[in-house]
Amino acid sequence: MIQVTNGRYRCCDGMTRRSVLKAGVLAFGGLSLADLLRIESRAKSEGRSPSDLSVILIWQGGGPSHLDMWDLKPNAPSEFRGTFNPIASNLAGFEVGEHMPRIARVCDKLSVIRSATHPDSGHESATHFLLTGYPPTNDIPANEAPSYGSIVGKELGAKQPGLPPYVAVPRAPRSSAAAYLGVEHNPFEIMGDPNNEGFRVRNLVPPHEISLERLGGRRELLSRFDTIRRDADASGAIEGMDKFSRKVFEMTTSPAVREAFDLRKEDPRMRDRYGRHTWGQSTLLARRLVESGVRFVTVDTGGWDTHGNNFEELKRNHLPRFDQSFSALIDDLDQRGRLESTLVLVWGEFGRTPRINQTAGRDHWPNVFSVVMAGGGIKRGVVVGSSDARAEFPKDRPISPQDILATMYRKLGIDVEKAYVNEADRPVQILNQGKPIDEIS
Amino acid sequence: MMRKTLSNGLTITLVIAFSPLGVSLRAAEKTSAPSPAIAASSTSPSSAAVSTLASNAPGAGRSLANVPGSRTDRIDAPRSADAKSIRLTIVPDRVELRDADDSAQILATIERSDGTSIDRTDDSVYIVTDPKVARVENGYVVPLSNGSTKLEVVTKDRASGRELRGFTTVVVRDYNVDRPIHFVNDVIPVLTKYGCNAGGCHGKATGQNGFKLSLLGFDPVSDHDALVKEARGRRVFPAAPERSLLLTKPTGKAAHGGGRKFEVGSVPYQMLLRWINQGSPFGKPDAPTVARIEVSPATPTMERNARRRLRVVAHYTDGSTRDVTRASEYKSQQPDLLNVDGEGRVSTLDSTGEGAVMVRYMGQVDVAKICIPFGPRLAESAYADFHPRGFIDELAMKKWRKLGLAPSAVCGDEEFIRRASIDAIGTLPTPDEVRSFIADQSSDKRAKLIDRLLDRNEYASYWASHWGDLLRNKRRYGDAYKRGTFAFASWIRDQFARNVHYDKFVREILTAQGDVSDSPAVVWYREVRNITHQVNDTSQLFLGMRIQCANCHHHPYERWSQDDYWGFAAHFARLGNKQGAVANETAIFVRKDGGVSQPRTHREMKPKPLGAAEADYVRGQDPREKLVDWMTSPDNPYFAKAIVNRMWAQFLGVGLVEAIDDMRVTNPPSNAELLNALAVDFVKHDFDLKHLIRTIMNSQTYQLSSIPNSSNEKDRRNYARFYPRRLSAQVLCDAVDAATGSVEKYRGFPLGARAIDLPDESIDSYFLDVFGRSQRESACECERSSAANLAQTLHLMNSPETQRKIAGGRIEKMIQAKLSDDKIARELFLWTFAREPKPEDLTDVLNYVGRSKSKKQAFEDVLWSLLNSKEFMFNH
Repeated sequence: MIQVTNGRYRCCDGMTRRSVLKAGVLAFGGLSLADLLRIESRAKSEGRSPSDLSVILIWQGGGPSHLDMWDLKPNAPSEFRGTFNPIASNLAGFEVGEHMPRIARVCDKLSVIRSATHPDSGHESATHFLLTGYPPTNDIPANEAPSYGSIVGKELGAKQPGLPPYVAVPRAPRSSAAAYLGVEHNPFEIMGDPNNEGFRVRNLVPPHEISLERLGGRRELLSRFDTIRRDADASGAIEGMDKFSRKVFEMTTSPAVREAFDLRKEDPRMRDRYGRHTWGQSTLLARRLVESGVRFVTVDTGGWDTHGNNFEELKRNHLPRFDQSFSALIDDLDQRGRLESTLVLVWGEFGRTPRINQTAGRDHWPNVFSVVMAGGGIKRGVVVGSSDARAEFPKDRPISPQDILATMYRKLGIDVEKAYVNEADRPVQILNQGKPIDEIS
Repeated sequence: MMRKTLSNGLTITLVIAFSPLGVSLRAAEKTSAPSPAIAASSTSPSSAAVSTLASNAPGAGRSLANVPGSRTDRIDAPRSADAKSIRLTIVPDRVELRDADDSAQILATIERSDGTSIDRTDDSVYIVTDPKVARVENGYVVPLSNGSTKLEVVTKDRASGRELRGFTTVVVRDYNVDRPIHFVNDVIPVLTKYGCNAGGCHGKATGQNGFKLSLLGFDPVSDHDALVKEARGRRVFPAAPERSLLLTKPTGKAAHGGGRKFEVGSVPYQMLLRWINQGSPFGKPDAPTVARIEVSPATPTMERNARRRLRVVAHYTDGSTRDVTRASEYKSQQPDLLNVDGEGRVSTLDSTGEGAVMVRYMGQVDVAKICIPFGPRLAESAYADFHPRGFIDELAMKKWRKLGLAPSAVCGDEEFIRRASIDAIGTLPTPDEVRSFIADQSSDKRAKLIDRLLDRNEYASYWASHWGDLLRNKRRYGDAYKRGTFAFASWIRDQFARNVHYDKFVREILTAQGDVSDSPAVVWYREVRNITHQVNDTSQLFLGMRIQCANCHHHPYERWSQDDYWGFAAHFARLGNKQGAVANETAIFVRKDGGVSQPRTHREMKPKPLGAAEADYVRGQDPREKLVDWMTSPDNPYFAKAIVNRMWAQFLGVGLVEAIDDMRVTNPPSNAELLNALAVDFVKHDFDLKHLIRTIMNSQTYQLSSIPNSSNEKDRRNYARFYPRRLSAQVLCDAVDAATGSVEKYRGFPLGARAIDLPDESIDSYFLDVFGRSQRESACECERSSAANLAQTLHLMNSPETQRKIAGGRIEKMIQAKLSDDKIARELFLWTFAREPKPEDLTDVLNYVGRSKSKKQAFEDVLWSLLNSKEFMFNH
């Protein structure tokens, strides 16, 4: 069952637990312009150019139904196959569910993994696994490892100084935080519905009466008075706040930032094309942000936890919106020549039970599910792996969540062997398992 | 039988005493005098096998002098003049291996007369006199054939450079006997150790790929059926045992979603194969079962960045014992302090404190509590400025001494009044309050301040807001629920205003019945609606335990079974809902009869509190009364500890048990004595929350500065200094209003209502959302978040709301009142930081104002910078 509370999606097991950083975090240097320059110069000296890729993650929280979207089984018994029919796509031999007709016309630009699998069927723990690459060790995961949005943001920084490297639209799903990378690498959450009339990202610039000169004065005063000792706080929260203060000054003084977040600058026809709903406008904002120089954008499209009435829900709500916004994104990026520099990843924490339950729903199913990747140098029109006759288990080429992430990191040029020091002073690699999927990368 | 009896007694095999007359031997057994360097093979009979076999001990096979010591060595540096006597202790003194599957872990420990010791198990050479009988790797003894042999252990004491020897005997019997494999005692441990029956795999409620095992093997009868009877005999295939799915799946010979777990021919493989060869018996149903397990050493002290081994012995119902070190599972309860591997090898990190390793075998758990001092004990002068004022300080200091931590200095008066006001009443002190507190010369002024704070109205508002979160006083469906949340909120507030003692407060909630208008506490049951929520919230919130696991299966880290869970649930079985007198509100009533049945056994459950006796089924009685009687009785082991730990965490920032509502044997407190003492004192004072708060706040421990010293910089659990934390959403929101002299208007509330006065979470406030107020969806404190994010900083720095408050409030009034610049500056510092500006701060302000065109705007900028300082946003 799905409930929407204050714009946050809730899954059947209850909690919308905020990221809890109680265990404490070690703060690291935020990426200033100077850091960026240093990274660039280091990369140059090593004879490679820094990645110019950005990432859009479309997170389908709750777990999208692979059998009704990407991996239909028309020959399975009726208690498995459900009510949707497959339709042909523009990729020869590749079919998708009938409620994704527009996506069917962009499939030649996508790669689809039909044999993704992992062992965790709990929302919170599987979300932690898929958003960080690490299964949680605790019963109640508290973002033990950094999300890859945080890692990519920290490693590569924003492409445009002043912009936050990592943004979540409209809110960040659980386990999207930076954990031991330090709070300054948490996502910037838009916290508003981009589909709302008059939507504006709050507080990007100070009120008009605060001139640049006054802002300078305020900043100077702040540097004098804000002298509390950081070492008094082993949790890193104080140092993290300092980083945010600096970030805000950068953002405030940058016109590019204002532009980036302003959906009114988009042609209304473009806004229609993505769809006048939260998912559509969030996806459009994501495109706009990466175009402006944000490195990683998470679009949170929750509510896929269809334990009951799966088919009606998908047909009426989820699929039309997803079909419109995702197909528009792929086409739009491609037409702008930005698909090759924007890696798009679409997944949720697991798939759904092939056997339909008594309330015409499907329950949690991590044993096999589908993942879509596109752009950013991912090969076009490749289908990786397959599931068995009832879409219950991988038939061949099982792909782990870490394999997916290793593929993304390969394209981004990030060395997954690199280790960060966690709160226990232990080096933890960006990924400790997983191999890039050679067929698509 | 497969089991053997092991002695846990220690044998002193060799004592070397360094006396003024030279080295004398007080050996319990004959031994040779230590030679400076043993080339191990040259000092042992040629037939003896020399083995360090430690793949991770690079010194293997070389002279002991070259065996690199691990960092563990440092701790045994003698600390006092009389620490001269050292010995090597081998545990156990006799290893009996009763069959080919048996094995044992030896611990080799250097002990000193000053009480310190060091584990050398991985840094010793093991010389088996008759290598046909057994082999030894890192102290792990594996049988090779029947017989008896002496085992000599040689190690080097790094501090003194001495070589030490110890001895034990290894006896192997019935090596060639094909003993009957027992399903429960032999097969289930394999399935558990390799995660087959874990919650993510076949152990989950729906099984995996059609194969379902009970979680962690708590239901062996159905597990035996699942393996032997289901799947048409494919799981175990007697005709060709090697082709059983039970063997082909985990070895990767057949496709297995869980991957390869062990190799063909490995120890677990052979165990399962022999079991199938024997016809897959269940084994004697009355065979002894594991009664408890025992990890040793139970309370070792270790250095930072060191390692040591543990040893685990299972005690069976027939009194026999067996070494299960390698068959047990291990989990570090404090991954920020220490790690543990699958063999029971503990490695400590660079932090100081006390950590625990949970050990689990066959449903039984035990913990090793590991003390990691910062360094050697400090000189008494480190504590000279700390003057204990009661049991809290005594017990905190005892722990610091043990860990080699020195406390920070006691905080100053300005810091104290700000800290105390925030913690006790969620409110910043006013400049007048600060000034008069500073001016007060009396020696007990802090105690008097605490008393005054506890009498303030804000005390009730602040704690009611807090408890409104925990009691999930949540408004759903807009105005339909408003009447209920308002009534419940004002009821909670009233309880705190009248200081209703905690036992009565809880009783009123748990036994609430009737209509909202007569009994507002029934609103708790509105959000905590079904019986599992009632069990879960009651245990988590009031007993500090998370027992929800036991709803569906035996709790994996606790002793609670499904019977315990549903016996607890039976207290709530007679509750019913009906339409209340007030529209949209349900009333709670208690039926004369009603029970619940345990879902697995379908047995009707009698009300039974956790770990207490079953109550009789009495028609017409409200079983909840009995439950609360049990909870609030003075000797209840959970109730008082749960609340004192919760309150302690409120004031000191970190619970003695953390997470605060996850108290269990396997998650021990950082200072058990202190937790006990707080609970005892709280019960003795009749569950009086104000008494508890007063006790905590008057302690010197609470009053320490947050500025660290070199020893307590990394301390996060022992309170050797104050841990700063960001103000909660509500408190910060009110603090901004107080500092700017403005008033936030909340829709539907009179002007002047503060954030801590709001009855439920539904009142619109971007500020409260972005700073992480609780959505009241669980009974977990963690729903309130103090994590920082960019949106918070943007809001405080850039928002029109903040600017409006800064510009529209007290600055304007002060300028109109023609206060001097100097005075205005002082007032602003007092309102935000609760202290006078330092001389250089004052100069900065006056310079800034002096060179600005607009005095008002200049002071706005000053106030803005104060609000955006961490000194304002944090309680420190």
